[in-house]
Order: sequence, then structure tokens, then C-alpha cells
Amino acid sequence: MAESVTAEKVKAKMAGLLRQPIERLKDDALLTDLVSQSLLLVEMVIELQEEYSVRLVQDDLKDVKTVGDLTRLIEGKAA
Amino acid sequence: MIDENELWILSFYRTSEISGALFFGTLARSMRPGPIQHDMTKHFSDEALHSWYWTSCINNLGAQPLKLGEAYQDQYIAAAGLPVNLMEVLAITQVFEKRVINQYARHSQAPDLSREVRETLAKIMIDERWHIEWIQKALKQMEKDYGEGLIEATLKHFWEADQEVYRKTMQEHEERVRHLFKPR
Repeated sequence: MAESVTAEKVKAKMAGLLRQPIERLKDDALLTDLVSQSLLLVEMVIELQEEYSVRLVQDDLKDVKTVGDLTRLIEGKAA
Repeated sequence: MIDENELWILSFYRTSEISGALFFGTLARSMRPGPIQHDMTKHFSDEALHSWYWTSCINNLGAQPLKLGEAYQDQYIAAAGLPVNLMEVLAITQVFEKRVINQYARHSQAPDLSREVRETLAKIMIDERWHIEWIQKALKQMEKDYGEGLIEATLKHFWEADQEVYRKTMQEHEERVRHLFKPR
């Protein structure tokens, strides 16, 4: 049986992709504070979609501002 | 020799090619093996080479490239938002590449163009045509995953952003562009 995707697992993956300690990825941390270049944000979002076999479109991310917003979105899409 | 306006324009091309290389280099690094990874890596290397062509062209005209902060692509992101999947990345790139080839073709028509600039534009345009082709093919193949309608809507969204960015860029640098087409 496939392992379930949880917000915590997504956060751990994000920490690896961003090469940042997971403690820095608090739920209310702004993504723009963690990722200085928008291109790295694109790269991370694409990698997360590949990792969890989910598909996001621009509209899905229009209200995503924080780490918590993104992890919940991926968790929800993967469910 | 090269005048101030032309130096700015060639430096702008150089900066945009560098941004393109960085963009595709970053994405190519994270792609899964397959035809898209293959073509994207070639695209990345082309953009890097083009930035070298412009650097070399400017140097050969007796000048140094200007250090410019923002590339054309940065304005795209600001106008259209971040692409968040591979299809959106390819769609925004397709629109951008068409803009680039049109701009380079237009520049090629400028009177009294130096041989150096004409040759640089000509060799870059050959690669740009291939960029449009491979992306078109890749987007066609993505129709089964994303649907033709969504891909068309995405292209339209980025095309509208392109019109806006191009209009603003032309407005901002009208004098420089006009100068390019003035007989010397």
C-alpha cells in the first residue's frame, strides 16, 4: 500500500529541496522569505509535484503564501 | 564602434539570454530522464551560448556589456505570475521565444547594421526556431495529460502578459529602439 502523504512529510521534502533546516520551515513562514529567487520556487513546486504525483496549475497557488499553505495544498491534492 | 543606444540593446539581449540559461539550467537539473530533459538541456546550453555570442559581439565592437538588473523574463513573471508546472513553463517559454525571434528579425532589418551584429542575430535565430519547434512538439504531447483546452488557455494567458510587457518595454525604451532604425 502506498504511503500516505502528510503535511509533515511534504515539509521535510521541502527542507531538503531548499537545503534548509526543517525548523526554519514553520507553517506561517512566508515562502518568499525562504526562497530568494522565484525560479527556485518554480523548481521546488515542480519537484514536489513529481515526488507526490500531483498536478498543480497557477490558479491553485494564487492564495498560497506560507509553508503551511503549500504543504496543506499538496497533502490535499495527494489524498 | 557602437553607440550608447545599441550598446544598451545588445546588453539587454545578453542579460535576457543569461536569464534564459539560468532558468532552463535550473529546470533541466530537476527533470526526469526523457525527451523533455534532453531538449531542455540543449535549450539551456543554447541560451548560455547566445549570451556568450552577445558578450563577444559587444567586445568585438570595442565595448563592454552593460550590467543590467532586470531581464525581460522577470517582467513576464511579474505580469503573468509564476508558472507552476512543466506545461506552464513551456507555454510561457513558447510565447517568450516567439517574441525573441520577432525582435531579432526586426533588429536584422535595421539599416547600417554592423556585420558583427547581423551575423550574431542570424546564428541565434537558427537556434530560436528550433526552440519554438521542440516546445510546440512537447506541448502537443502534453495534451493527453493537461487537455488541449487548458494548454490553449495557458498560452493565451501568457500571450496577453507578453503583449503588456512588450508594450511597456517599447514605451520605456522607445528612444533607443527608434535610434536603431535611424539611418546613420
